[in-house]
Order: sequence, then C-alpha cells, then structure tokens
Amino acid sequence: MGMKGKNGTSAEAAGLLHPSTDKVVVIEGTHSASYAVKLARVQVVAAYPITPQTGVVEKLSDIVSAGDLDAKFIKVESEHSAMACCIGASMTGARAFTATSSQGLALMHELLHWAAGSRLPIVMVNVNRAMAPPWSIYVDHNDSLSQRDTGWLQFYAESNQEVMDTVLQAYKIAEMVSLPVMINLDAFVLSHTSEPVAIPKQQVVNEFLPPRSAPFKLDIHNPRAFGALIGPEAYMEMRYKLDAAMEDARAAIRDVDTEYGKLFGRSYGGLVEEYRTDEAEIVLVTSATAVSIARIAVDELRSLGFPVGLAKVRAFRPFPVDEIRMLGQRIGKIGVLDRNFSFGASGIIYQETKAALYNALVRPKLFGFVAGLGGRDITPETIKEIFSYMMNHDGPELEAVWVGLKTHKVNEAQNTFADSAEGQQK
Amino acid sequence: MAKAQNASQKKFGKGRASMIEIRMHGRGGQGAVIAAKILASAIFKEGKFAQSFPSFGVERRGAPVLAFTRVDDSPIRLRTAIYEPDHIIVLDPTLIRQTKVFSGLKRGGTVLVNTSTPASQFDFPEEYFGAVVDAADIAVNHGLGTKSIPIVNTAILGAFAKFTGLVGIEAVVEAIEEGVPVKREENAAAAMDAYESLNVTAEEMAHTAVSGD
Amino acid sequence: MGDYRYTTVEEMPPLAFSLESTRNIPTGSWRHVRPVYVEKSSPCQIACPAGENIPAYFELVRQKKYREAWYKILEDNPLPGVTGRVCYHPCEGKCNRSPYDEPVAVHVIERFIADKNFREGKFPSVTASPKSAKVAVVGSGPAGLSCAYQLARKGYRTVIYEGEHDPGGMLRYGIPSYRLPKNVLAKEINDIASLGVQIRTDSRIGGNVPWSELEKYDAVFVAVGASQSSGLGIDGEKLTGVYSGVDLLHQLNTGGSPKIGSGVVVIGGGNTAIDAARSAVRLGKEVTVLYRRTRDEMPAVPDEVNEALREGVRFEFLVSPVKIKGRQRKVTEVDLIRMKLGEPDESGRRRPLPIEGSNFEITADTVVAAVGETPDLSFLPYSFLKKGARIFVDADYLTGVPGIFAGGDSATNPNGTVVNAIKAGKEAAASIDEFLGWRTKSNGAEHQLVKPEDINTFYFPHETRIKVPRLSVGPGTRSFAEVNKSITEERAFQEAERCFSCGSCLHCDVCMTFCPDVAISKDDQGEYIIDYDHCKGCGICVNECPREAMDLVEEDTQWA
Repeated sequence: MGMKGKNGTSAEAAGLLHPSTDKVVVIEGTHSASYAVKLARVQVVAAYPITPQTGVVEKLSDIVSAGDLDAKFIKVESEHSAMACCIGASMTGARAFTATSSQGLALMHELLHWAAGSRLPIVMVNVNRAMAPPWSIYVDHNDSLSQRDTGWLQFYAESNQEVMDTVLQAYKIAEMVSLPVMINLDAFVLSHTSEPVAIPKQQVVNEFLPPRSAPFKLDIHNPRAFGALIGPEAYMEMRYKLDAAMEDARAAIRDVDTEYGKLFGRSYGGLVEEYRTDEAEIVLVTSATAVSIARIAVDELRSLGFPVGLAKVRAFRPFPVDEIRMLGQRIGKIGVLDRNFSFGASGIIYQETKAALYNALVRPKLFGFVAGLGGRDITPETIKEIFSYMMNHDGPELEAVWVGLKTHKVNEAQNTFADSAEGQQK
Repeated sequence: MAKAQNASQKKFGKGRASMIEIRMHGRGGQGAVIAAKILASAIFKEGKFAQSFPSFGVERRGAPVLAFTRVDDSPIRLRTAIYEPDHIIVLDPTLIRQTKVFSGLKRGGTVLVNTSTPASQFDFPEEYFGAVVDAADIAVNHGLGTKSIPIVNTAILGAFAKFTGLVGIEAVVEAIEEGVPVKREENAAAAMDAYESLNVTAEEMAHTAVSGD
Repeated sequence: MGDYRYTTVEEMPPLAFSLESTRNIPTGSWRHVRPVYVEKSSPCQIACPAGENIPAYFELVRQKKYREAWYKILEDNPLPGVTGRVCYHPCEGKCNRSPYDEPVAVHVIERFIADKNFREGKFPSVTASPKSAKVAVVGSGPAGLSCAYQLARKGYRTVIYEGEHDPGGMLRYGIPSYRLPKNVLAKEINDIASLGVQIRTDSRIGGNVPWSELEKYDAVFVAVGASQSSGLGIDGEKLTGVYSGVDLLHQLNTGGSPKIGSGVVVIGGGNTAIDAARSAVRLGKEVTVLYRRTRDEMPAVPDEVNEALREGVRFEFLVSPVKIKGRQRKVTEVDLIRMKLGEPDESGRRRPLPIEGSNFEITADTVVAAVGETPDLSFLPYSFLKKGARIFVDADYLTGVPGIFAGGDSATNPNGTVVNAIKAGKEAAASIDEFLGWRTKSNGAEHQLVKPEDINTFYFPHETRIKVPRLSVGPGTRSFAEVNKSITEERAFQEAERCFSCGSCLHCDVCMTFCPDVAISKDDQGEYIIDYDHCKGCGICVNECPREAMDLVEEDTQWA
C-alpha cells in the first residue's frame, strides 16, 4: 500500500522506495520482525508470550495459520522450552526462530549456551525490557547484555526498518558462521511504535538469502551424537573454534550489510555507523533508539557550531574493537551512553569500549554515562546534557555519570547549551 | 475583554514547526491505539511521515489510556514521549473530569471531544480551539458497538480531519478500510458521517477569534 | 490517594517498596464487571412444595443449632416430625449432589431436627400482634393444620373443626404407626394448639355441627381431605371380605382389628395400597399386591415398596381385576386379566391395556381395594363449583363463595401427598390474610436456580449418603413399631456436611482468600464487604465460590 503516488517523494527520500520494495506499511516494531521472519522462510517458530515481545509471535501465528508461511508454530510452556525447540529444529537443518524479552531471556540462559555451543544459526528477536524487580516492562538493555558471554551475536536496532533488515541479514550471517544471532529492539519505543517500513519483495530476499544448507544435521539415516561429553583434550579447541567463528562474523557482518545495501538500498555501516564524526572533537557512542534521539541533538549542536559526532554500536557481539580503536585515534573525547548497568562496575558498553581502547596506541579520554534505565525517556535534552558534561570536563571523574538521576545533589551533568540553543522549540 | 485578548493571542497553525503531535485520550477497549495508528497511516498516505504509539505500558479495558501520533515532513527520528501536543482528541468525555486532558497542550492547539453535550455547554479553556462531535451516536447508527459501549474510534477520525484539516477525509477513509479488522464499510461510513456532521473548523474559529468579537 | 511521590534518590527505599499502602491505588476503575453476593435458590428448595429453606437448616445443623434449625423449618412447615418420616421428598430427586455421588438425605435430617426437639424444644410463640378476625378451618389433616398454624402465627384466632374423635386426618387414620408413630403426630398437633389454635374434635360440619356455625367467622378454609375410597367398579365388590384401603387403615388406626382372612389381595399401586399391604402383613397375613402397570409407574414412594418387599409382600404387575367371585357372600377368588402398556395417558404414564384371553384366577379370602380416594363433599350447603370430584378453587385457593377457601386433597391436591397439603394450607393462609385486608402476599423474588455445573465440586470430597438405621424387620413381622430409627448427632452432622448449600453463602471465606487484590473483607457482623475501589472484576471470587453464592454483573458504564 501507499508506496505509489502521493507519498512517493518523502518515502523515497527515506530510502523506503527502492526497486526491491514490495510495499511500504505503517507497522509496529514487533510486526516488522514478524514480516522479516516470513520473508526469511523460517520453518519452525517456537515461543512463549511476554510483554512487550508478544506482538512478534502473535503476528507470526496469524501468518502461519493463514498459510502465508509454511512453518511449524510450536506453543511451549516456557522460554526455556522455546529455545529447546529451536535447538532441536535447527539441528535438523531447519531455519528456526523465537522471540522473547527480559525475564524470558533470562530463563533461556542455559540454552543460549547450548545453541551457540552447538553452532546453530538460530535467530532470536529480543525486545529489550528492564529486569525485575522492581517490575518494569519498559526498555533497557540489561536483559540482553547479561547474555553477552553465551556465544550469540547481538545486534541493536534503531528503527523498525532496521529491525526488518537486520533479521534478514541475521539469518545470512548466522548461517555463514554457524552461530546464533540475537536482534534487540527497544521495548515500546520500537516494539509498540508504528512507523513506515518498506517490506522487500520475496524474490529479492530469496536471492539474498538462499535456503539453509546445514553442514551437520540430525539425520535418521545417518545418526550422530550432538553435544556429547567431550574430554579436556578437546574442549578448549571447541571453544577456540567458537571464538574463531565470532571473529569471522566481523567480516560476515560487514559483507552481508554491504550486499544487503546493494540489493535493497539500505545498509547500516556494518558493526558501527558513524554519524557526523568528520572534524568532530567529541563523539558519543551509543546504541539502539538512543541513537535516533542523539542524531537530533548532534544536528542541533552542529548547527550551533559545536564539534560533536555520534557512533552507533550496531553489533555488540562480536564487539567492534577495530571500529572503536579507529574512532579513538581521531577523536579526543569519547563518551559512552549505556542504557544498562553492570553493578559494581559501570555501563557495559563503556567497559567494552574502554577494554578495546586500552591496548590502542592512541587513547582518547573516555566518559561513561548511564541514562534511560527502565524506560526513562532519553530526549534530545538528555544527549545535550551529556555533551555538555564532556565539554566542561577535561577527563572523566567517575566511571559512570547517571544522567537525569533524581537527587538532592547538584547534578554533575548540566546542560550548558540550554541558553545558547536559540530558536529551539521548547 | 480578557476573552478577546486571549483569543487574539491564539492562532491556529501559525508559527508551528513542521512536526505536529497529537494525543488521544480513551479508555482501554475503545480503540484509541488503533485510531492513532490509522491516523498515522492516513497521514503517510498523503506523503508525510508519521509515527504512532500507545502510552507505553499496561492496558486494560476501561482504564484510561493515551495514544499518540506524530507527523512530520521528513523521517521522524524523535522517539520520545509526547509532552506538548498540538492536538487533543478525547474519546470519552468522562475522562475530562478524571484525567488532565489539556496537560501540555500548546496554546492555539485543538481539542476534539466525543460527546452528546453541545459545544456551547462545554467549558473549553480559552487558549484552545474546542469542538465536539457526537461520535457515539454516529457509531451506533452504523452498528459500531452498543449505546452503552459505542466504538467511536473511527468516527472521531473523520471529525478530526474536518476540524484540523491535518489530513484529508479520503486518506482517513482509505486507512480505516485497511486498518480495521471488522466492519470496514461501517467504520468508513461513520468517519464520513462525522466529517460531514462537524460544521466548524479550527481555521474558521481562528479567523473569527481574530477578526470578530 | 496521596499525591506524594518520592522525588529524589536519597528519599527512596533500597527496594521497590511502596511508601503508602497499596490501598491508595484505586484499581477498581479497571473493572467492567463487578462481583456481587447473591442468594440463589437450591433445587431442593424449589422442589419442596412447602418451600422449606433446606440449605439454611442444614447449615444450622452443621453449627449444632438444632433449635434454630427447627425454627427454620417451622417457617414453612409445622409438621417436620411427620414429613421427616412420610414425605416422598421430591427435594432429594432434584439434589445437585445426585450427579456428583448421591443425593443428600434431606428427609433424614428433617426428621433428625424434629426428633432432636421432640422433648425439650420450645415451640416458637406468636410474635405477630393479635388480630380481631376469626378464621375457621374445616378438617385437621395436614392442609388444615398447616393453614391454622400459619394463620395463628399471623395473629388470627383460628378454630379447627374435626369430625373424628382425634385430630390429624389422614395422618392419623391413613398412615400406619410403623411409619408415623402416633405420639409424634400428637406432639406436633399439640405444638400447633399451643399457639392458641382451638381444635374442636367430634365436631363434624354438616353433621353434629351445622354449616351455619361457620357464618360467624370472617373466613373459612375447607380442608376435609379425600376419605372416600373409589370403588373398583367390578362385580363382587359387595361381598364380605372386600375392604377399601382407607377403611382398613382407619380401623387399624383406631385400635380396631379388622376381620380379614389369611389370603389378602391388595389392588392398587399407591401409598394407601402399600400401607394396607404392610399392615396386613403385620396382622399375620399372606399379602399380594396387584397393580395394572409396572413397578416404574407405581405412585407409591419407592422406599415403601422396598420395605413391603422386605416384609414379604408379593407383587403382581400388569394385572387387573375383572371380577371378585364368592360363595355364601364371601370372597373366594379374584378373576384377573393380564395387561400391557400402551401409549402414555394424560398423567404421562403409559396406559395399561388388557390382553385379550389372558384371564386367570387366584384364590383369596380378602380383597383390599386401594385404587384412589375422593373427598366427601356432601356437607357443603351451597352449590360450590367442582372440578371433577373436588372443590374448584382459583390460584388463591378461593372457592366460588366469598370468604371460603379450600385446599388439600379435597380441592387442590389430587396426588394426596402430605407435603402438598401443607403447601396448600400455607398458601391459603397467605391468601386469607390478604383477603382479610392485611399484608399483600409477596410473590417472592424469583431467585436464580443453582445447577449442578455451577457447584465448584473441588471443595466437596465424595461421601456416601447416610444409611438410615432400621428396625430389623423381615417377612411376617408383627410389629407396628416404627421401622426407621432416629439417627445420631454425629451421623446427622456428617450428612449435613454433604450438603452443597447451593446458592447460600456460608461465610466460608473462599472468596476472601482467593481475591488477588485483597478487595474482600469482613465487617463487624462477619458479612463480606467488597471494596470496589480495588476490585478489578477479575471474577476469581465468583469462579471459586464453592456454592454459587456470587455473580458477576455488568458494570454500569457511562461511556456514551
């Protein structure tokens, strides 16, 4: 619907209209994932409902029951079982999918190791939701970042279109390196927000993503053991190979994104997308929808003459060490905005960024910021406060500055742009 | 005197940024979220960008809920809550007493209320342009819901199109036909009826406010 | 609700702990249906012609409040000792427990309550203020007693005229004492008399007392019963040795010893036939009951038939007498014909049809005809409207003559059951009350009936129905002592525990326990209060209620 005629100009400008586009629809983030799963010709869907993920598999169950996707839809009694189903299905060579969120992802934890250790290219959508208690159904990233050592690739999406495109890329990457991929989208900010999404043509997707060909699979005619007991003489090698695959994934992510761009007209910079970092002196590293907000703030500050830029961490696993180091060579001050926290340490992307930079020859000043936990709104003002802090500090004084924290104390991060931001809409 | 002064200070659609934000007040089960989404679709059909989202959170039948639509000429990167809307739509007049429906509404903004009470008996704050539509009556006439629980979400979109001129009725009707799961024709007809039933637009009111009195 | 909120990290507690009570969050606004406590009708209560509140007195038995239980029955029925013994208990046939395991033994508990109050129980005195109007009741059978009792409770001066030497009507003269001991009947009649009801025995209206005597009353209730035996309508009925069931029982119940032979044939399938047969057994006779349909169609209470079989009564089904033969005017044989069942008749039972040429003969020296009774209405001076052999009355028990009401077997009660007579007396009393210018009869709110599937049987373990202790009687018993014995308190309690209490709140606290919003509490009187500010209308209380004493109703909406 809608792609022809009236909305042609603006949709085209947004990269929605492209010869590969079948139609542009106004849909919520969960459904964007569902339609991508349909286009990927997934064969097994197993899931357990949890807010705010439910829309993903709800729509998929509609699609499957309408006969629009020839897949087995398995209702299970828990997320643990959902992942177990995906593991079993994927072992037979099928393309498997599940979706979850927050506590559901935590319940899956054991099997996340299992999926990665079994080298199964399962794709999962996780709607980022804060961990309880206190109960929250709103966005932050502690749920997925708690799973960083399970051997899963992790992507964070900025828009509903990126959800669609990343799910399609994810199957290709996963099947190239034989590792599972988790695509994360922000609760409500994407999951329940409707916006225009270009849905690619099936035939172009088929060209991009051929049917899966599994090198090792469950076959009753050739029975083998999977994931059996292994002695100390070989376990380390298995682990080494898993990490090697993760290393290979870096190139795979870049290549697949490039190929996707050629076929569909949209690409996302591989692991990291830089935004207005040319001649920037201060760059904010962040991920997910905070990037979208930060773009607004960066544009505003740039228009006021401040040398600020932005780097979007799209892939968190494998961590974009090279990309971060390259950035660190050029930029004097880098801030990391984390929508998560590792208690007793700092924001998790901040830690990883710091670790990536430690052995670099040139190291910038690195600031850690925490904001937006449990769905606290991250607004352009929040981002401006963060840039303001970095401008007013030569170096970091804390491992983590909690932005917007309600406290009696004078808040460290005050927005010095507030007065100079003339003509801004309040 | 004070009224004239106030009225002359508010201008409809003047000096606003290209981004327009709409907040819809309803109760769980009334279809406010679907209406916000249909509105976004209709606006996108006309070549603008649109985004819609519910009040992030838990919804339940009968509980007050909010739904939002954001409109702009270029792709919308803003993903925050809406704090200062340009337009307010109220699906259930009892919410006016129970919730702060005017909260954050920009001066010169519009308020459209579904009610059978005539506009003259409605105490709209002076700095806004207010209108009423008996969307419930229109909905029931088209077989949408019952007298006690009418489904007013589509009818009121027709009235909104007329009152604000933000979106054409053709696009609204098309988006309704694509966006409602059942009774497509009835919903579209209700929107059309509501569009025609409203004999005032915010533009005209602004004109009257400035030149009249 | 307080507007206070934590504003800074310093103020906040270390965990998500609300500063104020969660009572400050009125989640009731989420509700679109609301739970309410409703009193519904149990099927037993609906099935009971007298309208006894059975769940209520069962609960009182469980609380060991036997006096209160008795009083609860007495609201509807002054003769629980009688009905506890002789009622055909239609309540049990409708018991919601039947599909679950076995029906609750309502009549056993009713009798237990009466027995429990037999000696020490103080009959409730009249609380209504005395009224000047006087009412006469003709006949002291169950209908008359019930009517006089209810009128007395309403404050009327009431006089019963009874033609026999002792009061009780069919209860005294028609029911053998092994089923209903005379002292039980006498006690309950005395109770009624204790309210100031005058019972004038040996006072037969139309006999030694002229009808005109009744003219000094403001209203009259005619309840003379049906004491005339219907004849068999065959040759030989006048032979010596042919009795009517009613006459035989009357003789026995007045201490007489009817001269019956050793081979007794009883004709009929109703309670009178069974009573006559079992009485004849006790006189040392060989008894055969002849019935023209099958056992399934017998109007007699099945338990009584079982007792008769146990005592050695023989039954011949699908036979009908054609002629009673005799020599020297005395019965010698009965000519019979075999029958078969045809299409159902107006009573719903299949019509018996003679099988041509199947005649046969049995020897007998005594024939008891018990094929139905009709009222003797010869005393009525006016040309009362009749319906068949009975007095015609309208729905208010009013005859065609102003101020004269009628009920029971002589008017409304063709099946001749005690409890239907009690019902007629009770309802007629209400009509008379209205006729005399007092309270308009309330039709009673139509309560919703509780069905078996409404019961949450999770709360009720399977329990077998009480076995009533019985006098050890076998074939040829000669004892007229009561067969069914009273039960112990413990057994009564166990049986009372089996009652689901359909539709009655027992304050079991299940609703309160299960409410996830803690929105149900109890007031000072122990009554439940639903806090609608917090009830979200989830319905768990209603679903969980063991006995369907709650409903979910639509919330009023003001969305229009």
